[in-house]
Amino acid sequence: MKRGTCSQCGFSGSVNSFYSFNGSTYCEPCVWKAAGQAKENGQPSEYVSLRDDTVCARCGADGGSIDYPLTGGHPFCPACSQLIYNWPYPPWMKKSLVCLLALLALSLVHERKYFRAGRSLYIGERLVEQGRYSDALPYLQQTLGVAPGSDKAALLTAKAALLIGDVEVAQKALNGHDNGHFEDADGQEFQEVDGLWKRAVGALEKAEQAEKLAQTEGQEAEAARLMHLAASSYPEAPGLAELAEYLDEGAAFERQDYETFLLIAQKQWKDYPSSRTAAAVASGLACKWAILGDPAYKQQAEEMLEKARQLATNGPDEQRALQDYTERIRYRLDSREIIGNNEYNRRFRSGAPQK
Amino acid sequence: MFFIPGFVIALLTFPGVMVHEAGHLFFCRLFKLPVYNVCFFQFGNPSGYVIHGKTENFTAMFFVSMGPFFANTLLCMLFCTGAFLPVWELKVIDPLAYLFYWLGLSIGMHAFPSTGDLSNLWDEAPGSAKRGNILAILSFSLIGVLYLLNFARIVWADLWYGIAVGILGPIALFRALARG
Repeated sequence: MKRGTCSQCGFSGSVNSFYSFNGSTYCEPCVWKAAGQAKENGQPSEYVSLRDDTVCARCGADGGSIDYPLTGGHPFCPACSQLIYNWPYPPWMKKSLVCLLALLALSLVHERKYFRAGRSLYIGERLVEQGRYSDALPYLQQTLGVAPGSDKAALLTAKAALLIGDVEVAQKALNGHDNGHFEDADGQEFQEVDGLWKRAVGALEKAEQAEKLAQTEGQEAEAARLMHLAASSYPEAPGLAELAEYLDEGAAFERQDYETFLLIAQKQWKDYPSSRTAAAVASGLACKWAILGDPAYKQQAEEMLEKARQLATNGPDEQRALQDYTERIRYRLDSREIIGNNEYNRRFRSGAPQK
Repeated sequence: MFFIPGFVIALLTFPGVMVHEAGHLFFCRLFKLPVYNVCFFQFGNPSGYVIHGKTENFTAMFFVSMGPFFANTLLCMLFCTGAFLPVWELKVIDPLAYLFYWLGLSIGMHAFPSTGDLSNLWDEAPGSAKRGNILAILSFSLIGVLYLLNFARIVWADLWYGIAVGILGPIALFRALARG
């Protein structure tokens, strides 16, 4: 450590505690006094502190009479010189970093399912934007499986389902979300789905009413009208249009317009080939046979009945319905008498009116 | 806007302060600048600091001053990305996700360099730009924007920045992944 002596009062001590003013060395009280006087006389009053390069600026280590090398204008002992160029991260910070990285890795593994669900959500959203609702549904349903509480996933699923006429899936998505409660009920997405939902439900109510009416003899035309109304207000549901046509078919039979009855049955068979539509064509052909007596119609009716039998592979209900229908068609083919369902039941079955 | 004492904000977001100072220290070590003292966190103003030696090298100065901005932004995006889907899109109650969102936002909030750091860069950039330093030329606009944002801290610009990075970043990332 270098020592210094005040030029005014003679105080002696470490150089670090002295100041240089006008070329002389001063202790702190004396330099204040001298600088104050200089200022009063209008002379320069700046002074600088003296530096002892034998004392480390950081740890205060005394180097004796040897000056420490300067770094950035300050003397540092070898240990501090080493330290300032290689300042260590504290151990707690390193440990925290390791814990954090481990937690991050754990979270990435733990949240893989969320990443997959999120990806499905974005893909589904994009497909909905492109109008590819059927393609979007599996992705959105996958998201809902992981996150039933997601407003976005539930609303997008409901929207896609409603726009392809699948009210059941839409209902499941909406009810599965906090019992149908949505935070942002004023949001555009919710309002859009709400509008679609009300339109679909309104149409289904009309369709249900039409189906009930269709059970009553003489109401077939009204039932068909209501069903057409339902189909036009919710055209996304293809089943409604098919049902409307089916009721048109019944109405035509009821007013004994067998030509129209056969035409509708043939169109339905072409559009929706099934056991029921094949049997309806057979029924129409049997009517023509009954009226015109042309055996070609009888032959064709027999062929269509065989097709209907072959297509009845969807379980006992379908087979029972076909059996019921076939009996009436067979009666028509054998007797050339056209009678309605209720009359047939009255004559040959328990008598309960059925469709 | 309402006033919340700085030490409360610092306390609530202390991981961001630590990461910011660790970033300064990392770049000081990388560019061999002497470090005289480091405080990773304290209850006071500033809530953390790294006192380091000066340098004539603009690139070193740029990274020591701006490094924490890039590092904090990147880490904010990383942590928030891990938590974004369960918290924001899927509405899943997952404590780990909330922990990461807090970490991410805390780190993002402390991304901005201090006015002192920006001031040093702003003073040095013209000279270095004249000498043809590309980084100095490119950094003008960034320094200017960050200067303004630093003043906008009184209206929570740092918080909004963290939120923007923590929400918009993951949205952009996941949408891009969904397209891929």
